[in-house]
Amino acid sequence: MTVSGARAGAVDTRSDLGVRLTALARVVELGPGRVDPALITDASRLLMRAGDRLKLSGDHTVVALAGGTGSGKSSLFNRISGLELSPTGVRRPTTARTHACVWGLDGAGPLLDWLQVQWRHRFARASALDRGESQLHGLILLDLPDHDSIRAITDHEADRLIEIADVIVWVLDPQKYADAATHTRYVAELAGHEAVTVFALNQADRLAPEELAECVVDLSDLLKREGVQQPRIVPTSATTGRGVNSLKSVLAESVVNRRAAVHRLQADLDRVMGRLTKVMPAPEAMSVQQSVDLARQEGLTDALCDAVGVPAVGEAMENVYGARSIAWVGWPFARWAARLRPDPLNSLRLGGLRDEIKAVTAASVSAQPAEVENAVQALADGLTPGMPEAWRDGVRDAARSNLARLPQVISEDVGEVAPPLDRVPGWWRALKIWQYLLVALFVAGLAWAVAIVVYGVMGVGQEPADLLGDVSALPWLGLMTVSVLGVGLLSAIASRNFVVLGANRERERLERDMRRRIAAIAKEQVVQPVEQELRRYNEFFAALTAARR
Amino acid sequence: MKSTASKAGRADEHAGQPDDKVIEVKDSEGRNAPEAPEEQTATFSAVPSGDADPGSAEDGATPGAEASAEDGVKPGEETSAEQDANAATGSGPLAAPVMTTAEPEADSPETPARAKDAVVTDPEAQVPSPDPAVVSPGPEAASPGAEVTAPEAPIAPPESATARSEASATGPEDPSPEPEVHGPRAALTGPEDAAAGPVSTVTAPEPASLFEPKVHQPSTNELTTDQAMDEQATDDGTTDDQATDDQTTDDQATDPQATDEQTTDDQTTDDQTTAGQARDEDGAADPATGDGSTNDGSADGPTAPEAGPGEAGPAGDGDGASPAGEGEGSLFRAVRPVRPAEPVREVPLPKPVSRALTAALTGLKHSVTGLRLGLDVPGVEEARKAQVEILAQLDDYVIPRVHMSTAPALVVIAGSTGAGKSTLVNTLAAAKVSATGVRRPTTGTPVLACHPDDREWFAKSDVLGGMVRVARPGPDSSLDTLVLAASERLPPGLALLDTPDIDSVVESHHEIAHRMLDAADLWVFVTTATRYADAPAWNLLRLAKERGARLAIVLSRVPVRSREVVEKHFARMLQEYGLGEVERFVVNESKVTGGRLPDEDVAELRMWLTELSVDDQRRAQAIQATLDGVLNSFRSRLPALARHLEAQVAFRAELRTDVDAAYMGALAEIDRATSDGSILRGEVLARWQDFAGSGDMMRTLHLRRPGRAASKTGQQAPARLRAFKAALRAGLESVIISAGQRAAEEAVARWRQRAGVGDGLAAAPGLGRSSEELPRRAARTVAAWQEHVVALIRSGGVAKRSVAKVVAFDEEALALVFMVGLLGYGNSDIAASSGTGTLPERLLRGVLGAESLRAIGTRARTDLRARVSVLFDEETLRYVQVLDEAGIPDEAASKRLYQATYNLEVSR
Repeated sequence: MTVSGARAGAVDTRSDLGVRLTALARVVELGPGRVDPALITDASRLLMRAGDRLKLSGDHTVVALAGGTGSGKSSLFNRISGLELSPTGVRRPTTARTHACVWGLDGAGPLLDWLQVQWRHRFARASALDRGESQLHGLILLDLPDHDSIRAITDHEADRLIEIADVIVWVLDPQKYADAATHTRYVAELAGHEAVTVFALNQADRLAPEELAECVVDLSDLLKREGVQQPRIVPTSATTGRGVNSLKSVLAESVVNRRAAVHRLQADLDRVMGRLTKVMPAPEAMSVQQSVDLARQEGLTDALCDAVGVPAVGEAMENVYGARSIAWVGWPFARWAARLRPDPLNSLRLGGLRDEIKAVTAASVSAQPAEVENAVQALADGLTPGMPEAWRDGVRDAARSNLARLPQVISEDVGEVAPPLDRVPGWWRALKIWQYLLVALFVAGLAWAVAIVVYGVMGVGQEPADLLGDVSALPWLGLMTVSVLGVGLLSAIASRNFVVLGANRERERLERDMRRRIAAIAKEQVVQPVEQELRRYNEFFAALTAARR
Repeated sequence: MKSTASKAGRADEHAGQPDDKVIEVKDSEGRNAPEAPEEQTATFSAVPSGDADPGSAEDGATPGAEASAEDGVKPGEETSAEQDANAATGSGPLAAPVMTTAEPEADSPETPARAKDAVVTDPEAQVPSPDPAVVSPGPEAASPGAEVTAPEAPIAPPESATARSEASATGPEDPSPEPEVHGPRAALTGPEDAAAGPVSTVTAPEPASLFEPKVHQPSTNELTTDQAMDEQATDDGTTDDQATDDQTTDDQATDPQATDEQTTDDQTTDDQTTAGQARDEDGAADPATGDGSTNDGSADGPTAPEAGPGEAGPAGDGDGASPAGEGEGSLFRAVRPVRPAEPVREVPLPKPVSRALTAALTGLKHSVTGLRLGLDVPGVEEARKAQVEILAQLDDYVIPRVHMSTAPALVVIAGSTGAGKSTLVNTLAAAKVSATGVRRPTTGTPVLACHPDDREWFAKSDVLGGMVRVARPGPDSSLDTLVLAASERLPPGLALLDTPDIDSVVESHHEIAHRMLDAADLWVFVTTATRYADAPAWNLLRLAKERGARLAIVLSRVPVRSREVVEKHFARMLQEYGLGEVERFVVNESKVTGGRLPDEDVAELRMWLTELSVDDQRRAQAIQATLDGVLNSFRSRLPALARHLEAQVAFRAELRTDVDAAYMGALAEIDRATSDGSILRGEVLARWQDFAGSGDMMRTLHLRRPGRAASKTGQQAPARLRAFKAALRAGLESVIISAGQRAAEEAVARWRQRAGVGDGLAAAPGLGRSSEELPRRAARTVAAWQEHVVALIRSGGVAKRSVAKVVAFDEEALALVFMVGLLGYGNSDIAASSGTGTLPERLLRGVLGAESLRAIGTRARTDLRARVSVLFDEETLRYVQVLDEAGIPDEAASKRLYQATYNLEVSR
């Protein structure tokens, strides 16, 4: 691959990485409260690091020599650089500070600052001087302190640089290559970083050739078991110089490609995404709908109507109207007859209660808080199956966001449409007048008839008017009086039917109105916050999927 | 005979010598050493001083003066000693009877066998040199005394012979001894030293200085009778030497002293046998007795039996104080071939000791075994690990070791992967017993290499009892197998255990290595020039330090050219770590052939091991030190575990409180909702209006009239009544359900706040919401309550006869009115109360009477609360169940553990 081609490729991968990082940023933005904070912290640290690294020199590749104490990192460092830059020794641990050697210093300064390599530990190789090493131009080689000695327990220099270097060369040796300190803590953690990881089996000179071969095979098996798919193992010997050139050429490849930084970040991103996906299994979660469907909204409205008692209110209205209308439109004689019956309340000396009982109907409709809460809860429960626990709680909380004032709002709003049960329609009054008119008529007719009987039939005296003494009118008068009674009775029955009919219609209207209002409130106070949460949920998982690629 | 002889000798010495020296030594020893050695020293030094410079009596007649003074009075006279003994029966009887009775009991089992040895030994001993003559005088000398000491004579001799043979066994041990090699080494061991006695003036100072540190420890160790003798013999030798040095007297006396010592020991042991346990702790006690008896023998003179030997001894000692030393020296050689016949000495502790300790340990084991640490409280991992470790250590090591404290010592070779543990073992065993290679980690199955004679013991021993013994690692050998290999080159009495690494990727190796270390009598830690700064290595060293285990460090694979630097640096690191005193060996990096290093590289280490093997006393010390260390470590490890148990219990209580608090809150919420009228909204309200407004309520009351069925009117509007009742029930239900749901959420939220711990528990499915059955249960509860209220009204309604005469009422309907009143009608927004009370209240008061109404009201409310409590208790059960399933120790567990720890301490 030519350099320019490589660069073009690098740009592609770079922009791809950018897209994924943006998605991750969205995940980090939406995640808090729903995802383990540690994970969010790690993701945001990766974002920071990626931002920093991508801003800094892309022409340089940071290669870190990492490994246990005594594996020969410094010796290898010196071998590769060709100079005695990092002190070596037999005392353990030897290196305490990171040393850096730069091939091609231009633009490397900020990068080295970012790496926090001290000035006195920075060395430059003028690559022009080294023929045949032009390939290494752009290489920043770091000699890390060890990570497994007692000193490293308190000093996390190695950890820090292992996390941010572009390429890690694990310097192993035949004695320590299977140490848990290296494998469990780093190599297994960095599985998936094959492209930016090289294993140098140093001190190869200590082994016989066949032993070395066995060792390499064993190491390779070990790494594969840990998830490193195609480990690159280079046997080296810092003492004899054997294998150092192979290592150099492996490094040169990374350096020339200028892609190591991006690869490294991609691998890190993959890792973070892997962890995120494990907590938030996306595919299954994506089946959750974006909005609250109509059936669920209906269900919620029904439940809220029950909380207000809409059907009961209707029924009560019907019954109460029916009962009360008797006092207005009923045939007065029937009422008077009923009043003659003995009243238990009076016998208990509780006569005053009657008015209070009437007053009961004055109260307006209201919503029962516990039932409202259960209704909202049911909605949330219905929506969340399949969601991760944290999101489930989120939806529930969103549904409840307005719970505190919801009963009040419903009561007030519905109260506007619900007629007071003690209302008296105008036609009731008119009918009452008509009934009394009929009563008056009846009384008048009766009086007339009596007068005729007295004056006309019995001839008690001189009738004051002719009409009063006209006996022939008596049958007609009797007929008329009876028919007045009949008309009163009929009108009482008819108006009663009208009351029932009207109450029925009123009830239907009432129920419709109340239901409509409750539905509107439910939409505004419950469904909207829930849908907002659902959108956040979907957006989160969309970002997660995008970042995962 | 020997013991009698020696006893007598001692007695005689004491008697015969004006040994103020003794006392002087006693004092000087007493200052730096615990009581035990002090006494012994005193006793023994008496001999040399007596032999060497009888004239130096005046020197230090300080504290023990009476005794010595008395001694001084009767120099070398058997009869006088006897007389003394008889004369001083006042103190004598105390000790004497004990001895006479105890001796047969305790020693008879062993003596026959030993006696044979002794028989063999003695003649042989006699053959090589005239020295045996020196030995034999003992018995001979005993015989004169025998007239007096009839009972003791037959018993004592074999025993002392045994002691002797043992002592000799400890000497030059190797089947293939190289005199040159042994010579220098011999200087380290007591008996050898004694052998060197004749040349005393030259050799004595060295051993003395070598042993000086040990003088402090010797008799503190618990030992079985035999070993005790051995040990003491050696010890005494040491002490003697030192004493001798101190006094700059003759070393020729060493041997008799040693014998004396044995005698003392015999006595001591016997005494102790009856005395029961605590022999070690009471190191002071037994020497004291020993001393007492000695003193008695010498000065006061105990009863006849005792005094008899006391007299007998002097003859022997007097005759051959110096030759005795040689005699013993020759004895070693003579005995040597005999030794393999009895390669392993398993001598249990004196029974009561063992029993008490075993009981304590078993108790401890029981109290640790059943523990379940289910809550993820901080530190639970450590506690679980500690529990497993303690159990494994009890099984693998402590219990077997307490039973057989003289069993071969287990030297566990542990260290990093690639440090060359297997290579080291191979080299020491001079055979390829453990696989080596470049692959890391190499050793997966632990390999136990020992002398062929010890093999059988390890094959069936309880040490590491849980592991399957195999002859060679097979393909199916797991981590639970133990490869047994034998090699002639290994010194008997020691076994090397090659363990898997402590720091490779294979984590199961670490566990098994730690398990091996827990069972070790001696830790040999192997690290390398490249690894000595590794963190895991230092963690292990710290562990060794904590456990108080006997430790030796091998710094392996050291390149020759950097050896000095590395060694120094490592030494300094160890120093800083407080491990500067630990024995260190450096092994150069060299060509490995056949899995072995050149033999000379490990010569130093081999020698050290051999010494340990040879020197029973040192080995026993090492074993004892480690055992003590482990038992000591229990002092802190068990309470730590117990504290963790307490933490778990406390935490469980807290979690339980969380749940209770949540549900208490729910109850309070229900109380509130059922009294402030918030139930009387929605459907309930509508139905109430329906019920009251439609006139049904009025119809529930009717005047009693003759001939009219009372219940008839009550059934006029059953539909409305039922609907109202149902609405009321639904309202109550929903209040209960929502409160229950809130409580469940609250409980889980509280759990989650418990830093990470509750999280795992709270994750149990369904805990965050009320249970599936709650609605059903709530419905049943409310219905039952309603029935109850109706029943109350029915029974309470009878009360007001005056009303009942006039008015009949429908209880069902009246109960509903009552409920409305009870559920806070007065506080609700529908109440239109007049001055005298709310509508239901007034109605009911009118019907039932104020008093009756109040009583019914209280009872109904209490009943509702009780029913809801029961309901919530059922809900709470789910949490309790989760807690129970997590497995949390009960409160008594930690107490049991403390008790077990205490018992262990007491029985030690």
